[in-house]
Amino acid sequence: MIASRSPIVRLAVQTVTPLALLVGTYLLFAGHNRPGGGFAAGLVVGAVVTLRTVAGLQRPSHADVMVAVGMAVVVIVSFAPLLWGDSLLDQKVVEWKVPLLGKVKTGSALPFDIGVMAIVVGLIVALLDGLSTRRRTDDGPGEPELLT
Amino acid sequence: MWFLLALHALGIVAAGLAGRASMRAALLTAGIAPAVTAAWAITELAGDGAPATARWTWVDALGLELSFLGDDLALMMTTLVSGIGALVFVYASGYFSPTAAGSVRFPTALLAFSTSMLGLVWADSIWTLFIFWELTSVTSFLLVGHKNTAPAVLDAARRALVITGGGGLVLLAGLMILGEQAGTTTLSELTPVSGTASSVAAVLVLVGAATKSAQFPFHVWLPGAMAAPTPVSAYLHSATMVKAGVLLVAALSPAFVEVDAWRSVGLAFGIVSMFWGAIGALRQRDAKLILAWGTVSQLGLLITVLALGSGKAIFAGISLLFAHALFKAALFLVVGEIDIRTGTRDIDELGSLYRSMPIATAVAVLAGASMAGVPPLLGFMAKEAAIEAALGMDGTTRVVALVAIVGGSVLTVAYTVRFLLATFGPGPTVTEVAPRRWAMTVPAVILGAAGVAGYVFAGTVTGIVGPAATESNAKSAVYELIRWPGLKTAFVISLGIVAAGVVLGLVITRRPTGAAPRPLGARTADASIDGVLAFAPRLTERVQHGSLPVYLATMGLAVWIASMPFLDELLLDHVVLWDRPVQGGLALITVAAAAAGASVRSRLGSTLALGAVGIGVSGLFVVHGAPDLALTQLVVETVIVVGFVLGLGVLGKNFPEAADAWQTIRVAIALAGGFGVTMALAMSARNPTGSAPVERITAEAVDEGGGKNLVNVILTDLRAIDTLGEVVVLATVAIGILALARARDADPDDDAVDPTTPAEVLT
Repeated sequence: MIASRSPIVRLAVQTVTPLALLVGTYLLFAGHNRPGGGFAAGLVVGAVVTLRTVAGLQRPSHADVMVAVGMAVVVIVSFAPLLWGDSLLDQKVVEWKVPLLGKVKTGSALPFDIGVMAIVVGLIVALLDGLSTRRRTDDGPGEPELLT
Repeated sequence: MWFLLALHALGIVAAGLAGRASMRAALLTAGIAPAVTAAWAITELAGDGAPATARWTWVDALGLELSFLGDDLALMMTTLVSGIGALVFVYASGYFSPTAAGSVRFPTALLAFSTSMLGLVWADSIWTLFIFWELTSVTSFLLVGHKNTAPAVLDAARRALVITGGGGLVLLAGLMILGEQAGTTTLSELTPVSGTASSVAAVLVLVGAATKSAQFPFHVWLPGAMAAPTPVSAYLHSATMVKAGVLLVAALSPAFVEVDAWRSVGLAFGIVSMFWGAIGALRQRDAKLILAWGTVSQLGLLITVLALGSGKAIFAGISLLFAHALFKAALFLVVGEIDIRTGTRDIDELGSLYRSMPIATAVAVLAGASMAGVPPLLGFMAKEAAIEAALGMDGTTRVVALVAIVGGSVLTVAYTVRFLLATFGPGPTVTEVAPRRWAMTVPAVILGAAGVAGYVFAGTVTGIVGPAATESNAKSAVYELIRWPGLKTAFVISLGIVAAGVVLGLVITRRPTGAAPRPLGARTADASIDGVLAFAPRLTERVQHGSLPVYLATMGLAVWIASMPFLDELLLDHVVLWDRPVQGGLALITVAAAAAGASVRSRLGSTLALGAVGIGVSGLFVVHGAPDLALTQLVVETVIVVGFVLGLGVLGKNFPEAADAWQTIRVAIALAGGFGVTMALAMSARNPTGSAPVERITAEAVDEGGGKNLVNVILTDLRAIDTLGEVVVLATVAIGILALARARDADPDDDAVDPTTPAEVLT
């Protein structure tokens, strides 16, 4: 069980979390026309999860679910065009009007990016899971006084 | 053809579901697909239409495709595979008790085999042939190992898999050389090849065929495979799968017609196996093993006759193949019935079964007589054709072939007589005979009667085997099966064979039999398989030793060596130091951070320095006008630094002290690796085509991708298939990490380990 004893770290991470998630979401949607994209968004969200894990706010879990969902989305988006005779990974661009936001232009790249994001987050959570459970030490236990 | 394959696939699923209810339901469900296929093959044979084809190209440039062709040979084999298959499914429903274990596994595996075998006989491409060839090996392995609790059974299954599967690889090598020589991978378009490479191909193909068709010295797996339930032995190991090698010899003989090695090696395999198998059959006491060794001998006969290659020989070979599938399957089915009803297969304990099992006795006598080549049966006509074929050769081949066929046939008659007399003739009376099960009796009767029917309707059989043989040799078309040849040389030889064989058989039957001999060579085969299995982990330990420094050194040196050949192509004259001075500054910071990271003793310091390197690089990206790369790089660095810090909990505070010599070597390797990477980057920036693709991509991006961010459009649209591959890798890594973490957590030894967590490190 990971738990930070520092209330300052906890508070800071708690404050940053919604902001960072917002940034991640922005990157996901902005990706098509500006810097961003599923990979970057996934890394930002992954960083949030990492910080929260270190701060003891959550435990890394459900990595398998994220990877599975991400893979499913990516594979469906990739292979669905074959069903109606288009080539693999063919792009569909959709444009529609949304109240408040105005004209929104998006395409099948968006779900593809969401899938990529889920896989990236899943990978990071899996890494955290692998690093944070009981482990074998080869040259002695870790040094608890490292940052104090 | 797709429909039939789909029907089989559906049948496998349906049989699996029915298997939950009972073995009988599953077997009968599974039998539907083969029955339909057999009916289709017979209609196709009766019709005169063009052969059915089915083709699906996977990678056009490499000629990788699934390609099926239902020519006359394939149709004849389909009739055998699916016809006998359907009968075997019915038989098995009587063989197993309705509540037998493995009621999901067995029927699905048997139908999967049937499907693979169909794919094999239909295959019209080298790749398709290979895939289904190996699939039959795998399904055979599952079926031989049906009783998966007995170690001897598992050994036998493993032996069968390694020999036939390994033979498949040899075959693949041979087929690839053949395809290269002939200039096509389509089997029906192969042209005669010649030359040294073709001789090598011929030998490799024959070795592959010999492993599958249990030819000496690869026959050792077949007697062991008798550990399988009898329906499997009858179906796979006498009627169909072991015929694959024979079929291949027939199908490829037109391509190898000019290669001398083809005939000589084929004859050597065939003749040795014919005699060795027959002698083995005379030594056995287990009725099923007698038949198995007899199969080795009969397959040797088939290979011998087909290797002769003349029109008559191919015709005779295909006729023998057809006859053998019928009578040998019938004999196995009878032995299975004896096994189930009396509880033994030892011929010393059996006897007088003609009283208690009259129908089985009649079937066995008919099938046995067909095997021995006694008129008026199908086997007689086929053997007659084989002798005629041998007589039709010239010179040494004529003498060798004739002597071999006559000698082998005499032994065949002898072991048939011994088998029939000892099992059904006078002898100890088995008192307890279980009641007849019609599901077992009827298929055996059908197959046994087919031998008689084949004789009566010789014209029909000729109509089936003749065109099939013509696929391999156009000269086969003129021959036909003859019911009563009159006093010709071949007929006299035939009568002589039967007379000599009966005498020999009677003599041997009188002799007391010793203990059942262990199949010669099985021990050697097992030992070599064990050796391979022991060698594999040792090799893995050497290659994957788990030492991180050695991995890194390997990678660094590999990059360095790979870059060496391009050393003189690297042009330094157009190297620009920087476009803007700020780049120089950022580069300086990056290099300084890298140097610091390499020199500090503290692991945490080194990690932070590495983070600084990454941030410096992302700064360079920004200056170059690549915000996307910069952003990604920045986030990646952040996550990596946090990950490293988490990992420090395991590794300890400082790097371990290293000896000076070691340190020098490490620095040298690092420099070499760095040099190699620099070279690679410099070369990729050379841009040999001269035109930047950026304009084309910009147009495409807005047009097709519907986006203005080129990098992202490349990732999600233009090169999305790369991204797809990458995320699959990521997902695989994630699953791997989770699996390792769970395996470690489940390991009770780890309880002794200090449960330090990263959070404790950080506080």
